[in-house]
Amino acid sequence: MTLTLAIPSKGRMKDDCIAALARAGIHVEPAADARSYRTTVSGIEGLDVLLLSASEIARQLREGAVDFGITGEDLIRESIAEPEESVDFIARLGFGRADVVVAVPDAWVDVDTMEDLNDVAASFRQKHQRRLRIATKYWRLTQGFFTRLHGIQTYRIVESLGATEGAPATGSAEIIVDITSTGSTLAANRLKILRDGVILSSEACLLMAKADRNAADAAVAAEVAGRFRAG
Amino acid sequence: MNARSAPSAIETCLSGFFAGFGAYDVDVPLLQPAEPYLDSTGEALRRRIFLTRGEAGEVLCLRPDFTIPVCLAHIAATNPLPRRYSYIGPIFRQSGTGAPETRQAGLEDLGDADKAAADARVLAQALECLSACGLTTDKIEVVLGDQGLFEAFLEGLGLPGSWQRRLIRTFGDEAALTSALDDLARHDGRSLKGLDPELRRLAMRRDLPALEAAIESLKEEGGLPPHSGRTAAEIAARLVEKVAFAATALSEASLLRLRDFLSVDCSLDQAPQTLAAVCGDDIDLGRALVFFERRAEALREAGVDLAGIRYRAAFGRAIDYYTGLVFEARLRGGDEPLAGGGRYDRLLAYLGATEPVPAVGVSFWLDRIEAAGARQ
Repeated sequence: MTLTLAIPSKGRMKDDCIAALARAGIHVEPAADARSYRTTVSGIEGLDVLLLSASEIARQLREGAVDFGITGEDLIRESIAEPEESVDFIARLGFGRADVVVAVPDAWVDVDTMEDLNDVAASFRQKHQRRLRIATKYWRLTQGFFTRLHGIQTYRIVESLGATEGAPATGSAEIIVDITSTGSTLAANRLKILRDGVILSSEACLLMAKADRNAADAAVAAEVAGRFRAG
Repeated sequence: MNARSAPSAIETCLSGFFAGFGAYDVDVPLLQPAEPYLDSTGEALRRRIFLTRGEAGEVLCLRPDFTIPVCLAHIAATNPLPRRYSYIGPIFRQSGTGAPETRQAGLEDLGDADKAAADARVLAQALECLSACGLTTDKIEVVLGDQGLFEAFLEGLGLPGSWQRRLIRTFGDEAALTSALDDLARHDGRSLKGLDPELRRLAMRRDLPALEAAIESLKEEGGLPPHSGRTAAEIAARLVEKVAFAATALSEASLLRLRDFLSVDCSLDQAPQTLAAVCGDDIDLGRALVFFERRAEALREAGVDLAGIRYRAAFGRAIDYYTGLVFEARLRGGDEPLAGGGRYDRLLAYLGATEPVPAVGVSFWLDRIEAAGARQ
């Protein structure tokens, strides 16, 4: 059997992945057919590459449908309830760095920490006849951070699939949880990150699905993992 | 509607009691809209309920409890108040351990303005039901808590409003309460670190008009909708409050007294003396204590032995629609409640009732009660 490694199919992430693999002596060959989503590598035996969307990689790893994947830690932790049970984090790759953060309007001059936000959320309903709304695509990370870490129960999540930073201005939510690398989009939208509001400092990671593999496959897996762990 | 066709002996027994208590038996669908649950209990519930979607995209769940659908049914039917309801049937929760489907029965007592009497009636009847199931008071341990007393104690200590709110939010979650107390005790003004010096000056001078103007212009710059969300007045008022207490910490003396209060754990008949001792001469629990004592008196009149009920000052439920009494019955030394209940005066308003409805209820964990009975 050949093991599969899933990498993002386009953009900067893809280029950075190919470069990181090359540094580990794994050279991704251009696909024979430019439209193909599967290609081969040189520099190691028994490994194929699949080109997938970054969020699909997290799901495929969870299902064990691919053996290795490179994707953002944010997507792994958002897509998989208990990531440590289904995947091993082999290496943090140093690119694709971005933080998942809690951001509130600049006009909320009284809110600087999660504890401030807790107070505002708790009395929000009494003043506005509804719960404080958080726009995000990160349901799981938001719930874990608000509820489990900060004991905040009084909020609703509003699903946002794009342009989350615009939600406070459009009135679809009061605050947001979003990913940011430089903070400039948030600043341009007059939003500020809470002092203790960094939920996750994410970067691209190489992950291996936990699976029972036969001796030959296990050897290839160990070889791939070893090249990154050593580096 | 129920997954079981023939009622068990315990179910039949409880139904008889509920009818005798003058409760209307209600049946509510297994499949419920998830929105009222998530909105009243919180998003955290999402991980613990079984969610599905209807064809039109509406989010549904297998009912994780009866209280919310029973209250919704009451609101929809616009029944006269006061009114009592009872229910029996399966509920569904993802707990990690234990079966996701379990049976509950219970009583909801809506709209009785005499809250002390209603509290006592529900608790006394809960004990009567348990006793009829073979779980007499010598076999179980009953714990009672009262958020009203905690709130009165905080007020009596003279703590700032924001601190009171913070501590009340954590009531019932002992780890969160401890950490909130630690935090208040070493308050050091860090919370103003990110604040613009000019706004800080305005807040210290309590110059609300100038603060509101500054906040209004920040709202405009951010393109925030002017007529929804937090208002400039609301933000300014909270900032003034925050700045006023940023430099002060909870005093050692207050902290000790709060800890003394929270460690109160005595039988209900001993509670007045014990509370008097922790309150000393200067803290007056006022109406909260009068209410507490009236409820205890009503329990005594209903034939409940107060010496057999434990009052724990720190016992509560950290859900914001619970407002006063909470209680739980377990087997002695047991770790799971056989029955639990409390007062939830805010819930019906959350669910859309046009007027506040005082409400108190109890639910029984039938599978646990049957198992406990079998062990006797």
